Amino acid sequence: MPELSYREAVRDALSQAMRQDDDVFIMGEDIAEMGGSMGVTHGMLDEFGPERVRNIPISEMALAGAAIGAAVQGMRPVAEIMYEDFMTLAAEQVVNQAAKHRYMSGGQIKVPVVFRTQGGAGWSPGAQHAQQLEAWFVHIPGLKVVFASTPEDVRGLLWSSIYDDNPVVFFEHRTLYGIKGEVPEKIEPIPIGKARVHREGEDVTVIATGRMVHESLAAAVEAEKEGISVEVVDPRTLQPLDEETLVASVKKTNRAVVAHEAVTRMGFGAEVAAVLQYQAFDWLDAPIERVGSRFTPLPFAPIMESYVIPHMETVLEAIYRTVNKKV
Amino acid sequence: MATEVKLPRLGQGMESGTIVKWLKSEGEQVQKGDALYELDTDKVTQEVEAEASGVLLKIAVPEGEVEVGRTIAFIGSEGETVADSPVADSAVADSPDGHSAREPAPAVAQKAADVPAAAATNGASQGRVAEVEPGGRIKASPLARRIARERGIELSGVRGTGPDGRIVAEDVERGDAQPATAAPAAVGAPSGEVESRPLTSIRRTIARRLTEAWTVPAFQLTVDADMTRANELVAGQRELNPDVRVTVTDLLTKICAHALMRHRDMNVQYSEDALLVFPSAHVGIAVATPQGLVVPVVHGAERLSMAQIASVRGDLVSRARDGKLRSEDLAGGTFTISNLGMYDVDQFVAVLNPPQASILAVGATRDQVVPRSVGSQREIARDFARPGGELHVLPVMTMTLTCDHRAVDGATGADFLRTIKAFLEDPGLAL
Repeated sequence: MPELSYREAVRDALSQAMRQDDDVFIMGEDIAEMGGSMGVTHGMLDEFGPERVRNIPISEMALAGAAIGAAVQGMRPVAEIMYEDFMTLAAEQVVNQAAKHRYMSGGQIKVPVVFRTQGGAGWSPGAQHAQQLEAWFVHIPGLKVVFASTPEDVRGLLWSSIYDDNPVVFFEHRTLYGIKGEVPEKIEPIPIGKARVHREGEDVTVIATGRMVHESLAAAVEAEKEGISVEVVDPRTLQPLDEETLVASVKKTNRAVVAHEAVTRMGFGAEVAAVLQYQAFDWLDAPIERVGSRFTPLPFAPIMESYVIPHMETVLEAIYRTVNKKV
Repeated sequence: MATEVKLPRLGQGMESGTIVKWLKSEGEQVQKGDALYELDTDKVTQEVEAEASGVLLKIAVPEGEVEVGRTIAFIGSEGETVADSPVADSAVADSPDGHSAREPAPAVAQKAADVPAAAATNGASQGRVAEVEPGGRIKASPLARRIARERGIELSGVRGTGPDGRIVAEDVERGDAQPATAAPAAVGAPSGEVESRPLTSIRRTIARRLTEAWTVPAFQLTVDADMTRANELVAGQRELNPDVRVTVTDLLTKICAHALMRHRDMNVQYSEDALLVFPSAHVGIAVATPQGLVVPVVHGAERLSMAQIASVRGDLVSRARDGKLRSEDLAGGTFTISNLGMYDVDQFVAVLNPPQASILAVGATRDQVVPRSVGSQREIARDFARPGGELHVLPVMTMTLTCDHRAVDGATGADFLRTIKAFLEDPGLAL
């Protein structure tokens, strides 16, 4: 199987869709000559030309609105919002327009648009360029929300998102662009709404997204040395949520940790914890633990940033609390 | 806020321990790591270290048996006070101004009063079985509640080992295995001529484990061995190693270890999911001590010489008699030898030592008149060549092997026993 970086996997899904389908095009700030601020669309202008790799002015609201308009007219646009933080500027279009048209038209209008965006801390970007705002969008009926953590998943899920007839907010994690992983020779679409069990275990289930999938897998290796068997599950799609897989895992292990980089308070993990306690109440042997950032804007200073965001150790401590192990 | 000193779980399966004595007194300064008290578990007696520094404010349990997780003392800063009753202490939250609202809620007081006999008769064991919150609600995980509901177990009779005394699933399952019949009215019983001795933790362990062994389908195989050469070998070893006293038990340990290595199907344990096959022979030796039966283990006996085994065994036995064994001395056995030869017992049947799959019961060696076919293998071979023959007087030892039939079949056990017999009759074969 070929190996791709997470960044190349995103580019591969975009390019292959554009090669096979004239309706697919991309638009965003600095995505053409510059190849995007994260280099994801590097080289695509040369292959597809300025009609299909469209630079737009610095207005996320205009970008989102134009993409939605094109989608309603039958295209399959992929709009790149340079930073997740700037989704707030596009929120009117995403939340009030994209999410609503299909419902309000009684199904007559489809909105097959993808809003690709990225965020995530760990490289000292400060308070305005690294937030994890997925919780804002999973709260909106009418949107699908995807957050992939591996090259294989990001390619297969972006493919499915492009060909989904509903608006998809597609989160990528800044610190994962460089990671490499094997991907199938030919793109295999990954169904939206299907979790992935990365590692099977018996004692506690860690449900993690984005960067925390990797931190949790590392924590699982550490816990194993202490005789604690950890199952790591990545929902991959936050909306709709694969409740069945998550609940089945927790019914097996009787304990759960929910881990994401976004702040814990009102986070995506809170919803997961609620789903678990309701559907697996009689199977829980310990309170569900939540792991996330401390409730503060992200500090610039690396040492402070590191203090605020969760790491492998944070997950490990939560795992230990669920099994009542003193450390 | 004072730190609660709770009875630690020092090993797998430890449920309670007996505080023998405190090595610090109330009001004394304690450093983290200082030996704080002596604890007698079902396996060993050991000193337990303080996990916090400060003043030993209060000893809640001066001595006696205590469940794992119970608060037995408080360490804090000079002048700090702690509640009198651990029940009230954990059930009633501190009020925000720092003064404690120590008046227990009526329901709590009632619960505390309900806890019977043990509290009244034995100050050490106040019998707090379940953590009770104000209002009488017991802290238990949802899973623990479901299991209790399904099996009809009263949670009030279950001791919680989770955070803040919460009952978790494991506690209910343990409680299920041992129904709450443990209330010994012992001390208050009419004495008369019957002396009632409270059960020691070692006695309880013996009872629990051997009862467990009784539920295992077992079979026995008995064989005689001509000990002529074995006795010669032991005598030779004593001459060679005058400073260690080599015994027949050491030779048996060595021989059994080698036989286990040749019969890997015997060096096993039955578990729910799988048959565990062990790579090394860890031979336990049953030792009678003033406190009761213990089985210290000679680890990796197949790799040790007889003199090494004798030295390890000598150390284990003397420490066993002094009650100085450590948990690791008792852990990991894959086979047990129980030798009552020194008590002049001809032969006997040993009860399995779970989770081990087999145990060898060894009787005394006696001179017996035997027809030739019972003699050594070499003699049998000779006798086949020269039928007719005569009677011999030979030192004969009878051994009975008890096997867990879930793990071992009759033929497997018989084959193993035949190897042991052959090794004893001609120890050179074990090389």
